[in-house]
Amino acid sequence: MNLTLTINGTVHHVEASPTARLLDVLRGPLGLTGSKEGCGEGECGACTVLLDGDPVNACLVLVGQCEGRSILTVEGLAHGQTLSPLQQAFVGHGGAQCGICTPGMLISAHAYEKSTKSLVTLRESIAGNICRCTGYQRIVDSITQAEHEDRVQTFGTVGS
Amino acid sequence: MAITDLELHSFVRLPTIADVLQTLADRHAASQKTVVLAGGTDWVVEQEMAPPHKPGAELPMVVDISRLSDLQTIHLNGNLLTIGAAATYLQLRRHPHIGMGDKRAALLARMAQDLGALQIQARGTLGGNLATGSPAADGVAALMAYDASVVLQSVRGERTVPITEFQTGYKKSVRAPDEIITQFQISLPTHYNWYWRKVGTRRAQAISKVALAGVAVVESGQIQRIGLGMASVAPVTAALRNTRSYLCSAPLHKLTGAELDAAVNSDCSPIDDVRSTRQYRAHCARVVVREFARSLGAPV
Ligand SMILES: Cc1cc2nc3c(=O)[nH]c(=O)nc-3n(C[C@H](O)[C@H](O)[C@H](O)COP(=O)(O)OP(=O)(O)OC[C@H]3O[C@@H](n4cnc5c(N)ncnc54)[C@H](O)[C@@H]3O)c2cc1C
Ligand code: FES
Ligand code: FES
Repeated sequence: MNLTLTINGTVHHVEASPTARLLDVLRGPLGLTGSKEGCGEGECGACTVLLDGDPVNACLVLVGQCEGRSILTVEGLAHGQTLSPLQQAFVGHGGAQCGICTPGMLISAHAYEKSTKSLVTLRESIAGNICRCTGYQRIVDSITQAEHEDRVQTFGTVGS
Repeated sequence: MAITDLELHSFVRLPTIADVLQTLADRHAASQKTVVLAGGTDWVVEQEMAPPHKPGAELPMVVDISRLSDLQTIHLNGNLLTIGAAATYLQLRRHPHIGMGDKRAALLARMAQDLGALQIQARGTLGGNLATGSPAADGVAALMAYDASVVLQSVRGERTVPITEFQTGYKKSVRAPDEIITQFQISLPTHYNWYWRKVGTRRAQAISKVALAGVAVVESGQIQRIGLGMASVAPVTAALRNTRSYLCSAPLHKLTGAELDAAVNSDCSPIDDVRSTRQYRAHCARVVVREFARSLGAPV
């Protein structure tokens, strides 16, 4: 079946079974291997992407359920070669070690900054993302720092 | 079925509830299997656990109901709260009468906050929670505390079943194969106390060892109306009937811990499994009911 998905702002047409997992279609035919598979059953969050703005586990969503919808993966965070402030904060504060959890963690943190902040605490926003390396504190520090830098931004670009 | 078999299913997304019902009816009449899929947070996981698919065996057709807006509407009319079966936990948390605003149904939002993590809450639904039939279903416990009604629909018509009568045994229910759950109806008391306590291994993603949802209307020192729903202490979500009657039987100050414990014991039949033991579950059941009763003013 030919499916139409908007991924990281670009419309894609992809040939896939509608009952394939979104995660497999992203990593396979679409070549977006940023999203990881940890557990394959909704527990670890390594596969987290945004579906119409909300974080979901791409290992539990069938791609047919996403037809015509918008998906944001970790590949959509940076602008070209420039990392987003959140990604830079992860680099600067040791928010990533082995890196397996990082794509999902960044997407959950991004969702927190953009939409879920009014609903959840920072720690709750990443409660569905397991990290075996950092002990979480450095991740929390990175997200907090990115928030801070966002507030005290001293330069920027308007328009494209 | 291994996860690679998932792709072998046929799949449709239909524009209206009527189309879904007709498809279910036609396929049922032709003895073909169909699964209505909402968030997939139970069904997809089940597929991963299942044994590999035997070539030639029939696979159910997947009918996506996750985007039917008529199944996702949440609506308060006077005291009657109607929740579409395919509304997600995140929708409950964001709703101006549930998790935000006047929070008339705050218990549902509180339950939703403890269900999985945000990724699960963004997809999972109350309809899926009830249809799966797990005794550990947190959403069902909360609906039971509100004495919700379940609305079922098929081409044959619509019927309403009290949630306490929906489940008939472990993973068994009154739902016919051509029916879907369309909504839940809750008659909200004007003033009430609510309670939610989930005992699990950790805060996020933990399946309940025991969870208690409670709703109580207290007037002049006595409970006038009580609703309870307890997860993981019986083959189906427990309505704790004896405990309900005992709590309403006398003024709060006359209730005793020993009698309350005895009522709870008579209502539960917990088991040993990978997540906990019978003994610990029975203990937790008594402790959480006492905590709720204490919060209402009972000296227990
Ligand atoms: C990591 C993780 C954590 C979880 N944590 C919790 C938890 O803390 N507490 C808890 O209670 N559950 C938990 N769950 C289980 C699950 O998320 C919930 O039961 C959820 O409510 C299921 O809803 P769904 O829409 O995803 O169901 P689906 O998987 O879409 O459907 C489940 C079943 O219900 C049927 N169905 C769905 N909707 C309808 C309908 N309207 N009418 C008729 N049949 C229908 C489907 O055919 C299928 O058989 C967790 C799951 C995961 C993966
Ligand atoms: S791979 Fe999806 S949650 Fe672990
Ligand atoms: S950095 Fe290794 S799992 Fe998080």
